[in-house]
This record gives sequence, structure tokens and C-alpha cells, in this order.
Amino acid sequence: MASAQAVPVDEGANLEYAKHIRYWRRNLKTFLPHHYTGNDSMRMTLAFFILSAEDILGDLDGALSPEEREGFIEWVYACQLPNGCFRPSPATDFGSSRNDDNAIWDPAHVPGTFFALLILILLGDDLAQVKRPEILAWLTKLQRPDGSFGETIGVNGRIEGGNDTRFGYMVTGIRWILRGTVEGPIDGIPDINVDQFVRCIQASETYDGGISEAAFHEAHAGFASCAINALYLVDRLPLAAHQTPDNKIRGLTNLPQTLHWLAARQTLTIDEEDAFDTRGDETDSAATCHDAHSFVKLKSYPSATGEQAVRTQPTSHFELQWIGVNGRCNKIGDTCYAYWVGAPLKVLGHLDLLDKKAIRRWLLDKTQHIVGGFGKVPGAPPDIYHAYLGLVILAIFGEAGLKNVDAALCISNRAIRHLESLAWRKSIVG
Amino acid sequence: MARKYYHDDPKWSDVAPLPQEDYGHHPLAAIAYTEEYSEAMGYLRACMAANEHSERVLELTEHIIGLNPAHYTVWLYRAQTLSALNSDLRAEIAWLNPTALQHLKNYQIWHHRQTIIDKLGSPDGEPAFITAMLDQDSKNYHVWSYRQWLVKRFDMFDGRELKWTEGMIDDDVRNNSAWNHRWFLVFGGTVGEGEKVERDVVVRELEYAQDAIRKAPQNQSPWNYLRGVIRRSGLPLSALQHFALEFADPENRPDDDVFSSHALDLLADIYAAAGKTELAVKALDLLATRYDPIRKTYWEYRKGLLEAEGRKEETGAASAAAVETAAA
Repeated sequence: MASAQAVPVDEGANLEYAKHIRYWRRNLKTFLPHHYTGNDSMRMTLAFFILSAEDILGDLDGALSPEEREGFIEWVYACQLPNGCFRPSPATDFGSSRNDDNAIWDPAHVPGTFFALLILILLGDDLAQVKRPEILAWLTKLQRPDGSFGETIGVNGRIEGGNDTRFGYMVTGIRWILRGTVEGPIDGIPDINVDQFVRCIQASETYDGGISEAAFHEAHAGFASCAINALYLVDRLPLAAHQTPDNKIRGLTNLPQTLHWLAARQTLTIDEEDAFDTRGDETDSAATCHDAHSFVKLKSYPSATGEQAVRTQPTSHFELQWIGVNGRCNKIGDTCYAYWVGAPLKVLGHLDLLDKKAIRRWLLDKTQHIVGGFGKVPGAPPDIYHAYLGLVILAIFGEAGLKNVDAALCISNRAIRHLESLAWRKSIVG
Repeated sequence: MARKYYHDDPKWSDVAPLPQEDYGHHPLAAIAYTEEYSEAMGYLRACMAANEHSERVLELTEHIIGLNPAHYTVWLYRAQTLSALNSDLRAEIAWLNPTALQHLKNYQIWHHRQTIIDKLGSPDGEPAFITAMLDQDSKNYHVWSYRQWLVKRFDMFDGRELKWTEGMIDDDVRNNSAWNHRWFLVFGGTVGEGEKVERDVVVRELEYAQDAIRKAPQNQSPWNYLRGVIRRSGLPLSALQHFALEFADPENRPDDDVFSSHALDLLADIYAAAGKTELAVKALDLLATRYDPIRKTYWEYRKGLLEAEGRKEETGAASAAAVETAAA
């Protein structure tokens, strides 16, 4: 992917590099506080965020001794299961008690495998110990007749986990890492049904141009991002006008409407108070309708409060200094959605539909935390998930001092280049 | 909640816990577990490894779910245990209700609930429980998704469900989840994909959305809904022109006489389709500069598309003229 276009220099807002580095080094080197217990079964995901943040900040080599790097690689490979896939955490490892009868409680896991591979790539491993054929064959077993993918295979071979686009995204990510975009069997290893997967995404497109977790569910930026990134990873995004039609089924049946929906995620509702104002209030004014800004007149005033709100509306564009990004229509801005909306726009070649400068200001002035990292909303403490996605979207925007990232795989282009340089992969992808 | 331990519990004296293996000196994302969680997990691993399905396993999984509701296999293991013991599934639901209210953002719990209700074969009590959940968070994605499953599973595509949804929209006309649920009820149930929608349904839906827009013209949810209905029923977008002009009229009314940015957006599309490029550009300019400057770059992109389209047409017309001249 082409490198991002840099955002204009903005004197007012700064990325506090030193604090972010301190925040991430602490996550890397010390125990995470016990309130991460709810993430115990997705430690591989947290591990990826931590190491990748260090990579994007340019601190990976400085932070890791060669021994630590080797130790982390060993830890990831220790999560590898006999069938070649990965568990997402040691929490389900039965050690020497593991057998065929209890293996379903310690199953191969889609996010576990996806993030394990990404970590190995960014730590510079050559993936020589990764069992490519086994993992690729397993992917085909995770696909349901409707084209969607599950998370694990459970009792009686049942495909477990939601049928939303998150797992489809990670499956296509694993596939891209291990075999690029080449379709069909390779060396006798079957491929997933790409056409059926694309149909499944088409069915999740919503009436407003967004994408949801399944047909008729509400449009949601997280699912939209996973779907669009997945289409990119299987090379099934809509063709541009200058490209020759290839008669393949392609996703996004209404690209202009999807762009409209993605652009509409920008919002001035950026704190709880704004969000509270928009609930249950019958007026549309500067104070109550932050998505429209302040310039819409009312025909009449349903209440005295409503009238007051309109009469006192701000008349300047002052508020436009900060623009948040939400995940659904009429919701509050949230750091992570800057990535979930920015990444698909980047992949579609339309990042410029976002007001990068004002979103950057919102992240840096409002959700960047004084100890480093980013919180979900202004004033929220930082957490690994929001801190990582906040950093990634700034990197996608071209923030000086951050590594360029691949928006779809959410990892530095440096790491991608390492993967692409590996001989086994070159022999498949060319 | 009081802490719970197993090592001194006679009920568990026959079990040797399996401690967590953390693979050498460089574990990644290691968590400072509480002693309580560490110990409970050790007993869980031992039980899972032995494929034990018993009453005490139900207690143990309940305990762990309380500490880590996102543990994906503990739910599957619990479901399997319930099934092996032929447990009372109503009791399971009675336990799940407060647990779900405690963990509003949890995802696995809904999958579990779905499995149980599916087996019970009845939606009794579910709508009331959903209402309690939505009282906490009226836009909770998992709850709305579950509600859709319930409606499909028990064929609840009737007037009552539509009425309930209208109540949710009355409570908060900006609740996009409720709007989406209405769409699902009207277009996702008895009407098949691509099947023609009856005329009176189309009229009813257009009127419903229009009434909601008149109530709060800047609310995007019903505007999206309106466009969706038009597209789904195969009507031209221009069918909405008359309505949109109530809220903005770049042709005949002063520029400050605008009641909704979404009306301008819609009119820009209607004008563009009718070849009235200048008016479309004007609507987009008003959006970019006055009524929706948050999306300035987006409106300018749309303008750029119109201008490119215009140039293409001019070139087309010019070459057609050249061909005609040559022919003459």
C-alpha cells in the first residue's frame, strides 16, 4: 500500500512520544493489572497490540534484548497446538494431560492464530516452524455454508463463535500471510470458498450503506472495517473504472453509499454530556445535535429549553477544531472508531474523506492520556485496545515519527516487507 | 461478592488443580491474576482435562464467568455440562438474567442464552428481560442482535413486535438500533430478498419516517431509513423531492432558510440525477460551508464527481457534434 499522505503540521496538538513509549514498555515488561483478567483468554491479541505499538513507535529494537526477542518468539510457539494452529493464551493448556478427548476445550483459535502469526512476523521470525498446510486446511473447515467463518471447532465438529465479519477478516488475514491472494488449491491444499465469503459480506450490507455483523443487523464500523479489509485481503474490492472487469464476484454492491456512511461517522458528539443531550430531546439545536453542527433552524420550538438552546447556539466554527469518530449512527465518538472508519477508507483509497486534522486534534487533545496511551473517550484511562488503535490511525494519517502501517493488517509496512521477503512465501506469491 | 477458594473445600479434595504453564521467562501480556482467579482456573483446567460434567462444575464455571465472562471455552464447557446433566434450563436462564445485567458488554453470554432458549423452545419471558437490558443501554448491539434472533426463531414478525419497536423509537427518535429493528421487521421477515414490497407497506414506511423527520429534522436515522425504503421499493429518489423541499430549497429559498443538512444531501442527489448540476453543486456548497462543515472534504469530493461527470458529458457532446458535422 502507498504510504500515507501526511497531515498538515498543527502547532497546537502533540503526540507525547516519550509518554507513549513509557506506557507501552510498562505493558511489555511488567504484569498487566488484574482488571485485564477479562482478557485472559485473548492474551495473544494484547501481546500483538503491545509489540506492534512498540514497533510503530520505533522502540522495538531499543526495548528488546536479543534474549527477550527470542523468549517472546518461544512463548508464541509454545502456544502452537499439535494441529499447527495456535491457542490464544496459555489459560486453556492442560500440559501433559492433554489428549484427544479434552482437546475441544483447548481448541485451535482464529484470533489466536492470526495474532500469533503477526507477532512472529513483527519479531522477525521466518515462520519456519509454522505448519502452513495444516493451518490452511483448518481454515476451510471453519467456513459455514453461508460463507461466514467461526472462531473454533467445538463439540461434534460444530463451528463455534459468531458468524460476523471479525472472524472472516482474521481468516483472510491468515490466508494472506500464508498464501497471498492466489486463489484455488496450492500443492494439494484446498482454498476457502472466496465467492461464498464475498456473498456473505454482501448480505451484511445495510440499507444505509454500512455493514453489519449479519444480514439485517445494524451497521457498525467495526464490522464494516473487518469486511472491507477482508475484501482487500482476498482481492475482491470493487474494481476502479480504469481496471478491466474480471467477472469475479466483488463486495460492496453500492460503493458511493458505503463512502457516504463511512464519512457520516465523523461527529461532534465527543463526550458523555453531548451524548446525553442527544437522547430523548425533541429539539435539534447547536446544543442537542452535534452531528449537524449549529446552523440548522427550527420551524418552531417544542419547548422553552429547546428555544433557549437554539438562541444561545455558538455561531463560530470553534467546535470544529475537534472532530470525533463514532461506530454507529447517533452514537458518541470513541478512539477505536477512528481506526475502524479510517482503515477501510484508506484501503478504498478515500482517506481524504475524513477531516484528518480535526480528528488528529480530537485524539491528541481529548483522548490522549497524561500517562501515555489513549482512552476510549475524553477523561477515560488508557487501555491497550484504545491506546493501540489510536496510535495506528495516527500512523495511517502519516504522523511524523511513527512507522508507516498497512491499514488492512494493522501492522507496520516494515513488518509486511519482512514477510514478503521470506523465500517460501515468494515461491507461492511470486 | 465473597471470595471463594477450593483448596480447603472438602467437595474438591479429590481434584489436583492444573496450574497455568506460562512457557519460560518471557511470557507476553501476563496478567497479575488475583489468587482467587488463579486457583479457580487451576481447578477448571483439571475438570476440563478430565471432561468432568457435574453439579460442582456448574458452580465452578459460574464462579469463573463472574471473574472473566469473556472466557470463550468456559461457556461452551458449561453448555455441554448442562446438556450432560439434563439440567433445568429455566434455572439457567434465571441465573443468566442478573449475570447479563452485570456484564452489559459481554458477547459470549448472548450466544449461551441463544443456545438455552433454542433448546427450551419458547420465548416466554424474553421480551421482558430484553426490555430490562435496554433500560440500561438502549443501543446495546448484542441485545438487538439477540432480539432479531428471537423474532426469527419464534416467528414474531407480527404487529406486536412492530408496536414495541415504535415505542422504542418514541422513547428516543435517534435510537438507530430501533430504526434498524423496524427495517428488519418490515423487510427482513415475510418479504423475501428482492421480492416486491406491497404498495401500502411502502407508503406506510415512507410516512412513518417522514413524521419522525418532522419531529427532529436533523436526525439522520429516519433520513437513512427513507432512502433505504425508496431504494428497496425501486422508486426513483425524486419521489422524495417534494418532502425534502420542506427542509431546504436551494432554488427558491434564501441560504439561511435550511432546516436539515440531510435534506440538502438528498436534494443534491436528486438534482444530480435530474441533470440539474448547478443546483446540486449549490446544495453541496451549502453543506461544505455552512450546514455540515464536519464533512467538508466529503461534500467537496461529491462536487468533484459532478464536475468530472459534467466534463465527460461536454466531451461526449462535443465529439457527437463533430461526428454530425463530419457526416453533414
